[in-house]
Amino acid sequence: MAGWLLARLGRAMVAAWAIASLVFISSRLLPGGPEQALLADASDYSRPTTTVRSGASQQAAQQAVRERLGLGLPVFYFTRSAQPAQAWHWHGTANQYHRWALGLLRGNLGYSYRDGQPVVVLLGQALTYTLPLALTAAALGGALALGLGLYLARAPGGWVRQAALALLSALQVTPLFLLALALLLALANPDFLDLLPAAGQAPPGATGGQLVGYWLARSALPLLGLVLSLLPVLTLPLVAALRHEAQADYATTARAKGLSAAWVLRRHALPNALLPLLTTLTDLLPTLLAGTVVVEVLFALPGSGRLLAEAAAAHDYPVVVAGVLFTAAARLLGLLLADVLYFVVDPRLRPAA
Amino acid sequence: MRYFLLGGLLTLLLSACSTSPVTQGLAPITTRWARDPETLDPLAVPNQSAIDATNLLHLALLQIDYQRNEYAPALAQALPQAHLVGDSLTILDYQLREAATWDDGHPVLATDVDFTLKLMQCPGLPNENNRAQFGFIRQVRLDPANPRRFTLVCRSQGPETITASGDFSVLPEASLDPAHTLRRLPLAALQDWPAARPPAPAVQALVQRYQRANLARQPNNLPGCGAYRLTTWDTNRQLRFRRKAHWWADKLRPAPFVLQARPQELVFAVLPDDAAAALALRRHDIDVYPQVPARIFKQLQASPAAQRDFSFYTASSYDILSVGFNTRRAALRDKLTRQALSRLFDPASLLLATQLGQGSRTVGLLPPGSPFYNDSLPLPAYAPTQAATLLRQAGWQRAADGHWRQPGTAAPLALAMRYRAEETTFATVGLQFQAAAAQLGIPVTLLPAENSVNTSQLEAGNFDLYIRLVKGSPFGVNFATLLHSQAIGGGNITGFGRPDTDRLLVAAATEGSPRRKRLLLRRLQVMLREEMPILPLFFMPYRLAASRQLRHVVASGLKPGYAIMSLGWPAADSPSTSKP
Repeated sequence: MAGWLLARLGRAMVAAWAIASLVFISSRLLPGGPEQALLADASDYSRPTTTVRSGASQQAAQQAVRERLGLGLPVFYFTRSAQPAQAWHWHGTANQYHRWALGLLRGNLGYSYRDGQPVVVLLGQALTYTLPLALTAAALGGALALGLGLYLARAPGGWVRQAALALLSALQVTPLFLLALALLLALANPDFLDLLPAAGQAPPGATGGQLVGYWLARSALPLLGLVLSLLPVLTLPLVAALRHEAQADYATTARAKGLSAAWVLRRHALPNALLPLLTTLTDLLPTLLAGTVVVEVLFALPGSGRLLAEAAAAHDYPVVVAGVLFTAAARLLGLLLADVLYFVVDPRLRPAA
Repeated sequence: MRYFLLGGLLTLLLSACSTSPVTQGLAPITTRWARDPETLDPLAVPNQSAIDATNLLHLALLQIDYQRNEYAPALAQALPQAHLVGDSLTILDYQLREAATWDDGHPVLATDVDFTLKLMQCPGLPNENNRAQFGFIRQVRLDPANPRRFTLVCRSQGPETITASGDFSVLPEASLDPAHTLRRLPLAALQDWPAARPPAPAVQALVQRYQRANLARQPNNLPGCGAYRLTTWDTNRQLRFRRKAHWWADKLRPAPFVLQARPQELVFAVLPDDAAAALALRRHDIDVYPQVPARIFKQLQASPAAQRDFSFYTASSYDILSVGFNTRRAALRDKLTRQALSRLFDPASLLLATQLGQGSRTVGLLPPGSPFYNDSLPLPAYAPTQAATLLRQAGWQRAADGHWRQPGTAAPLALAMRYRAEETTFATVGLQFQAAAAQLGIPVTLLPAENSVNTSQLEAGNFDLYIRLVKGSPFGVNFATLLHSQAIGGGNITGFGRPDTDRLLVAAATEGSPRRKRLLLRRLQVMLREEMPILPLFFMPYRLAASRQLRHVVASGLKPGYAIMSLGWPAADSPSTSKP
């Protein structure tokens, strides 16, 4: 088991590295670059100007930015010239990829082009907001899906169950931005229900307890939005799987022995129906970590989704590549976690077995 | 038990939401920023938030007076005396204020100005914008008899030379270069330093010291001469500035508007979403909401509760929504074709639809309030019949299939229009033009794209028409950045430019006599209307919503749209009043 785990971890690391390398190289091939975001618009005359910024001077300024950011070097160990001859050129270790890979091996993800700060620090700061939010949403969503799934699978019919299923279906087709906006307008609106804060600041000099209270209140709406978006994704397949298992022979036998329907579902059908849920949940983790951008923008939370979206818009490559590396690692670890949980739930699937 | 828990939780939530009673005069003024400044390096300032923050920490020789929308002396005692030398040089004599000091108490001297201008030319620092902007200042002559007097030798002439020469944050030499190593290097030598030659050791050492100071994130590592210090910066969430208890400008009597700093504490809340920002205003989480979108402004004005709590201001800005034609394209090379297409835009309806009718229509690149505005020209208007006539005059013929073709060519007149994707105003303009052109038999493809992709495509000339915001100002009339042939590949995206139009642009920019300047600029506006490389649709409005209790609100058409340092709570006059 330990050997299997190590092999899977090794493969996951190699895959994450390959994905990040691909993003690193392809990001350098995109049109535009960080110099566009960092240089003033050449046609802007909102400030008094005395000179005409020619195309040549604009290019010189762009080149100066690229040199300062280390983008003047070749992207990879070898490149193919755009000349008609189209010859291959070997650049040795004096290339951007080599420097990035070397830095990564030393634990240095590089520095943001926008403010020169270490990417590790930026990502760490952003994750302090995103991780608690995403993990709490996943835990709450998972727990609610279990309860709701068992309740809805018990017997079809009944207006409460039908209404709940209809609501879940409606939630499933509602985009997250619409859902979050609706929550904002419904629950943080002085013209409707002014129950929860959406953007306020913690009172200056707040004590520990006040800060905890502030963050509990502040994270209620984003958490609600995430949980509501997760709930149908987790619940509806679970209900279908539970109902399928409830029709199986072993369930009929258990019922024939006199066990209640709820007991059969919880103790016999659930372990079998849980497997797809585990995969869905672990699949959602990286999405939650990098994809909470909608919620973070709407509720003004400085999380990792917003960091990555803004970095991508500004061509801040080091932050983007680090974000991709992190998301890929989370995704691969999620898959690994799903496998381990499979083994826990169903020992027959273990490698030794 | 569960009611106990619920009650406890609610109490906790409510206590977190409420604010402790504070004296209003000392209460912070909270303003909405749509984005984080990203860096507070005084050399970099990549966005408006960074500019606003830098203006709180540092001062320039001349700063914008938002009451009058003009540059006024800040660190400088007065506007500089200008003397023209030959036909290309201007000599500017500056005198710094006697009272001006850094945070550490040292006086602000001419050597600091000299040092700052040299720092802008050091390679390896984020100063590429400054290098281009202030490269026209070739020399700083210090006055040996007066450490606060100096002369700038500028390689340009014209009224804008004066304002441009003083529009940069002055930095302290003593903190960054205590050994005065840069004094030995003339400014011109740094400007002309060959790119292939390694920087001088003094420059290398200075750059390393500057980088170590980490001013991008720790601006307090450098003494400033502005009124505020940064107290907290929670990235992408909020920035907090506190006024210095003893700021040098407090001694000035009377205090000029640009050196007034009323708020004791300023908070900038980073709220990227407009709807969330509007709710934050309604909940009094923020006190000032600048650059309010039209739709939200209308909703706020329609709400009785919002009307009770907030004041609303509108000012016509100097940002022009404009359409550009790619004059290098064969189909658009003829000015009559460009004129014809310009008649298919409906500026009056577009202003109403996108900006609630606020803002102002214009005949050219100058605002209607400008003394140089050519009011003899008619405003551009929607005229499809005229458009068809002009197309025929340009040699286009309408075929049986409804399309327009030049004789002997198979390809019909079809256009591709580019604009930034996330702008609804741009999309509205594009759709209106597409519909109008379709009625005339001209197919138009709309190509909205992400900002950097859009810019790359425009710079590469891969478009027929574009929609964009041209940022202007009342300070100058140097349209060469937009229309001069030398600026092709730079700010001139349309590719327009001829020797005669270049001469007119330069003459209008450098002319010192107001009467002759007026004549030249009126001619320039006529030329622009005839040649039609750019069609200015209208000047955008700036909308501001602010707490009704705030005093001294100065709304302006210049970014950020208000004077932040002039704002104050009423309790500043009567300390007993408390904030609700």
